[in-house]
Amino acid sequence: MDWDQFDLNPKTIAALKKADIKSVKEILNLSGADLQRLMKLSSADIQCLLKTVSRTLQRSSMLTALQLYQDKDHLTSQHQKLSLGCSVLDNLLKGGIPLVGITELAGESSAGKTQISLQLCLCVQYPYKYGGLESGAVYICTEDAFPSKRLQQLIDQQHKLRADVPAEVIQKIRFGNSIFVERAADLDTFQQCITRRLSLLLARGMVRLVVIDSLAALFRCEFGPSESALKARYLQTFGAQLHSLSTRFRTPIMCVNQVQLYSRSQNVSYFLYRAVGNRVTPALGITWSNQLLMRLMVSRVSLPGHSSGVASHCAASMRTLSVVFAPHLPPSFCYYTVQLEGVKGVK
Amino acid sequence: MQREVGTLPLAPALRARLAAAGFQTAQELLDTGPCGLSKEIGISREEALEALQVVRQECHGDAARTARGSGATRKCTALELLEEEQTQGFIITFCSALDNILGGGVQLTKITEICGAPGVGKTQLCMQLAVDVQIPECFGGVAGEAVFIDTEGSFMVDRVVDIAAACVQHCHLIAEAQQEEDHQKALETFSLENILSHIYYFRCRDYVELLAQVYLLPEFLSEHSKVRLVVIDGIAFPFRHDFEDLSLRTRLLNGLAQQLIIIANDHKSAVVLTNQMTTRIGQNQSTLVPALGESWGHAATVRLIFHWDNSQRLATLYKSPSQKESTIAYHITPHGFRDVQPPAGTHSSEGTEMNPRKRPRTEEEKQ
Repeated sequence: MDWDQFDLNPKTIAALKKADIKSVKEILNLSGADLQRLMKLSSADIQCLLKTVSRTLQRSSMLTALQLYQDKDHLTSQHQKLSLGCSVLDNLLKGGIPLVGITELAGESSAGKTQISLQLCLCVQYPYKYGGLESGAVYICTEDAFPSKRLQQLIDQQHKLRADVPAEVIQKIRFGNSIFVERAADLDTFQQCITRRLSLLLARGMVRLVVIDSLAALFRCEFGPSESALKARYLQTFGAQLHSLSTRFRTPIMCVNQVQLYSRSQNVSYFLYRAVGNRVTPALGITWSNQLLMRLMVSRVSLPGHSSGVASHCAASMRTLSVVFAPHLPPSFCYYTVQLEGVKGVK
Repeated sequence: MQREVGTLPLAPALRARLAAAGFQTAQELLDTGPCGLSKEIGISREEALEALQVVRQECHGDAARTARGSGATRKCTALELLEEEQTQGFIITFCSALDNILGGGVQLTKITEICGAPGVGKTQLCMQLAVDVQIPECFGGVAGEAVFIDTEGSFMVDRVVDIAAACVQHCHLIAEAQQEEDHQKALETFSLENILSHIYYFRCRDYVELLAQVYLLPEFLSEHSKVRLVVIDGIAFPFRHDFEDLSLRTRLLNGLAQQLIIIANDHKSAVVLTNQMTTRIGQNQSTLVPALGESWGHAATVRLIFHWDNSQRLATLYKSPSQKESTIAYHITPHGFRDVQPPAGTHSSEGTEMNPRKRPRTEEEKQ
């Protein structure tokens, strides 16, 4: 660390070099008294040093909530979201998926999670005007093979799904070229994938969406009940790395998760989730839930207490997408079906 | 001016040399001047200049402090403290049940910690408080500003807009019902844009940035003296990964807690922190406990734990020096943080609930 470029007293700089302090992180990891002893400076000098290095860490200056609200620039605005390609679904999410943070899509098998993920991979490639991010997507598969046939079907039918977009815009986009498929069948490969491959693709601006299908599969076989602390550490590390990538590159991370049955006797779950009628909770527990910004749940069975009239007329293929928690959305749900051209909400 | 050299905030080596050279009080140092000082104790002129600057600042600070009557060694009786605490404002939460168990609301000069599982409403309450701190005094608020330090990226400004709009609406209703002149005047400046412009937002991406931000906070608060609330949402997130050495984490958290207590006291602000829950595996069952360990439990003065009971959200006051442990139910509505049922009674009783100082004695006795 080149201390000379900091706005510090030459005496302080000399003391820093003599004490062999190499980074700002080291300085902040020590208490004021420790620094005084280590560098043999007075407390006023140390306070000055701490304030100066703290100022260099301030990446962005202070914003007021009003500035955040009025920011309409699509590169920085909070209002910018990734559309799902269907106005009903976008309305449920008040615009779409937030760009910074990890969103989870949980549900039983064949509820439609992969369908929604594939649709997102196509939606992200549209121009900003049509709810996309003008960039590609990374799809990380951990267990099943990537559904390339289905992807091709969806690509061919995009003009039908996105009737709001002019045909020449759709034709110009080479959908297949911008979807990068990665396979990660175990934890180490997954770790490598995040730290190397993802950072590279994101840094080059080639992708603005990461889909992980699914995280639970990585943990299912490898950890017994006694290794829960180790499992928690992995989850926290992955969560932090993904979160950091998402913040740095303003890229939504969509994690597909499976669900498991829970029994009422587990009083831990009692504290965690509203009993939504179905006896399932998302896998991976509270450690993973703490990393999420937003949790969505899909299911084939309609929730009890809601009008059976809507669901019954095409009961076989009707599904629900519900918001379990989000800082900006109330708990709500909507119906959708999976058709040839993709996932479409039902009013 | 008669301050002893040994008590001045100079480097220990320098103090030793001054003592060896025979200097005893700060005044002697100032009289000698930089050249004389550098010759007498054998340091360079720059060092002497700096040392004298420090001495001058200290003496000036001392004089100002004794004039104000406050400072590091302030003496006062418990009665004075009690009176001061009773006049201390509270930041209401708009959920009267929660305000009641807290003794009036979130208290200024104290650290309040909110723990809970994801999705239970911690960030919602923080956003509500960032709006409620700005309620004018004639409506029962503290007319302050808010600092919001976000480590998780969960501050969605659209939601704050909804909450602020509902709050302004509520104040308008009260003003209409009570028809007092100061209400009308206060409402002129209590608008949506005004509220949003007084919430100062900082984003910290890891624990180093958070520590840096807290070091810079006292200066910021001195410049923005109307700030009455500092929210850190959440404090657990940056500290729960990245630490091989847990004792370092404990030390940093303790240091952070100390700094926040000083900030809360010096600037008469409430500090609100949100914490995550973690599973503690016991002998035959596992329980949910607040994260960050046992020693962190001592950092906050007041601790609230939010949890679910089927579909009902509950808040438990887990730790408080003056209120008893109790649990209440609350709702998150499109307007923000609210009671489960609207408070019974007409508009006028709602008005008196908004302004606790005007609440009649009999109601207080009932509780």
